[in-house]
Parts: sequence; C-alpha cells; structure tokens
Amino acid sequence: MRRMIIAALALIGVFVALYLTLYKMGVIGHLACGLGGCERVNTSKWAIFAGAPVAAWGVAFYTATFVVALVGTSPSWIDRREIAYLLAGMSFVGVAFTAWLTYLELFVIEAICKYCVTSAVIVTAIFIVSIADVAMGNRVQPGD
Amino acid sequence: MANNNPPRNAKSAAAKPSSNRGAFYGILVAIVVVGIAAILYLKASPPSADSGATAQAAYAALQRDYAKAGPPRPYVMGDSTAPVVIEEFADFECPVCGSYATVTEPDVRRMIIDTHLAYYKYYDFPLPMHHNTQSASNAAACAADQGKFWEMHDQLFSGQDAWGLNPDGATQVTDNPKSVFMGYAKAIGLNTSEFEQCYDSKKEQARVNANAAEGFRRNVNQTPTFFINGKMFAGSIPYDVMKKAVDDAAAAKKSAPAAAPATTPAGTSAVNPAAKPAASK
Repeated sequence: MRRMIIAALALIGVFVALYLTLYKMGVIGHLACGLGGCERVNTSKWAIFAGAPVAAWGVAFYTATFVVALVGTSPSWIDRREIAYLLAGMSFVGVAFTAWLTYLELFVIEAICKYCVTSAVIVTAIFIVSIADVAMGNRVQPGD
Repeated sequence: MANNNPPRNAKSAAAKPSSNRGAFYGILVAIVVVGIAAILYLKASPPSADSGATAQAAYAALQRDYAKAGPPRPYVMGDSTAPVVIEEFADFECPVCGSYATVTEPDVRRMIIDTHLAYYKYYDFPLPMHHNTQSASNAAACAADQGKFWEMHDQLFSGQDAWGLNPDGATQVTDNPKSVFMGYAKAIGLNTSEFEQCYDSKKEQARVNANAAEGFRRNVNQTPTFFINGKMFAGSIPYDVMKKAVDDAAAAKKSAPAAAPATTPAGTSAVNPAAKPAASK
C-alpha cells in the first residue's frame, strides 16, 4: 500500500514537472499563475541546473520514482527491502534538492511559484511514506 | 477431525490484494487522464493581463489611425544644438535592436553624442509579433517619468534574454515580464511603487503610441530604422556607417547654413533643452 501511495504521488509529480518543462520548452506560452511569481522563478537563472531545466530534472526524478515504486508493488518485489531503501534514498535527494530550490525562491529570487510549492509538498510526502516503508518493513498492513 | 477449511480470512485475504491492485491501477489511469486534461486546460487559459498578447491589435489600430495620435515625444540624449540629429525607431524586443544597443550604441554615445556631433532621439516602434514589447515600452516610459529612460533602455536591451524572445525567435521567454521589469526598476534606483503604479495603469501608453505613430508617418516598417538629419537608414548600421553619415550630414549643413533643419517634427524635442551633453528622458 505504501509503495502504491508513492507511485501515485510520483505520477502526480510527473505532470506538475511536465507542465513546467513544456513551458520552458516553449510549447506552453505562459504559465497559469494567479498568485506568486511562477514565470519569474521559471525564467530565472536558477531554473537551469546542469544544463537542463530544473523542471526537466523533476520529470526525470518523478518518473524514476514512479517506476521504482510501481515495480516495488509487484508480487515478486513487494517483500524486497532494497526497494524501500532505494525509494528512501531517492526521495531524500529529492527533498534536499527541493529545500535548496525553496531557499532560492524565498531569499534569492524573492518569488514563489505555486507549482514548485506543489512539487515540494509531493516530494516531502513521498519521503515521509518511503521512510515509513523502511521503518515498518514487511509488517503486514491492510492492502499489502 | 481434521480441519481442511482454509483460514477464516483466507478468502478475503486472497481477494483483497487483487481488488486493491485493480483500484490502484484505476487511480493511476485517473491521474494520467486528469494530468493531461489539466495541462491542456492550463495551456488554453488566457494569458495574464500583463501579457503583450494585444500587441497585434494595438499595432493594427495605430497603423490605421496614426494620424490621430498626438505629437511624438521621443527620448533624447546629448546636445540639442548639435548640427546633426540621429533619430532611432526601435523595438525593445527586437534582437537586432538589442545587438545595436549593446554593441554599436556605446560607441555612438561616446564618440558622437558626447562629442556634441549629434543629438539623439529614440522613438518606440513596437512591432506586433513581439508580444512583450509594448510592456517594455511601457516600462521605459515609466522610467522616463522618473528621469531614467536611458538606464531602463540599457537594462531592457541587455536583458532581452530574460523577458524577450526565445532562441527560436517566435515564442517569448515569458508572458509576464513585469517581474523582470520590476527588477530593473529596482536595479536602476527607481521609486518602485511609483514605477509599478505607472506600469500597471499604462499611464504613458499615449506617449508610446504617439512615438510609434511618428514611425508610421515616416514609413518606418522595420526596426531599427534611423534618420540622420532626415535621411533614412533602414536596418541596423555599423558604427563606421553611422559616423560617416553624421559627418556627411554635418558637412552638408555647414555648406548650406541657411537651410532649415531637415528633421525634427514639431514637438519632438521639448524634453532636453540643455545645450550640453546630457541624457534625459
């Protein structure tokens, strides 16, 4: 069940990051952003990391997390602890990277992008559930 | 008696994972459908009010009704008594104008304007395919209200990558350049609340329109376009060509001192009467 939650959250994250990536690619002309500074954030120099848009890194991260979590729900992998550790490790990196991005939004760019906040909530939730997956191990829970 | 019956909950335990799995896949499919629909919906939502999406309509209306626009109020720099007047019609989002402003214009200012050889006038000529250019002209006009047109002009042209066209030359980096312009306003020391009020209310839109209308009157159809003592040079010109044109115009004026000035239409140069090198709005 926990990995199902992670997979579902990661899939939502894929679409949030995909929307921002399509904007960066010019496929979407403008961001629908009633409040905050979505475009200021996404057109800042910090919106590029290691030669690629940060949003594209987000798509890659969430897609990888989704695939790992989905594999982890299959009967042959559901008891494998490696999956739990891998998800915890990946989501820790995601949370750390998101924390840095949030710092940049608040104190450097001085604008908040609501899609970035949504992504931060998703990755934090994934991290919490993945830690629960590690901590609770193979303990049977409804739906597992 | 042997109990061959399965454990009490075995049936439900066996059935539950498959029903949960079915629900799980159903949820994933729902997320995909909602995700795609959300992106398509957001893509189709109207751009913010700040967007320059109305540039086409504004340009068409001006082109049709330019005769009704008031007298132009270009932004001026230099010695208003200089023998030559250089007039530039430019679009803040036009890459060629940006290249001229950042590469050639510094030399023009240093070696032509500061040396009293020519007086410089800048007219907005926002082109319709550049959706943020009206906003940029608006920002520049609001900076001029606080006496810092040229500072904003330089920020806008040197920062085109942050608010103008994408490298594809067709789409914009952003549809909401206001935040970028607010950053420029802060950087050049404007009163940002006054600037924002002016920008949001488009207080100086009439000035931008009047400058563009002057371009239509003079058959400008590309940017940048220069007039050097009235002689048109369409397209960007290198420094050497401009210097020669200025020298030729000065020589021609010297040889015919009684001739009337060939260029300035009425009302264009009221801003900087100072007869010494000075940049003004």
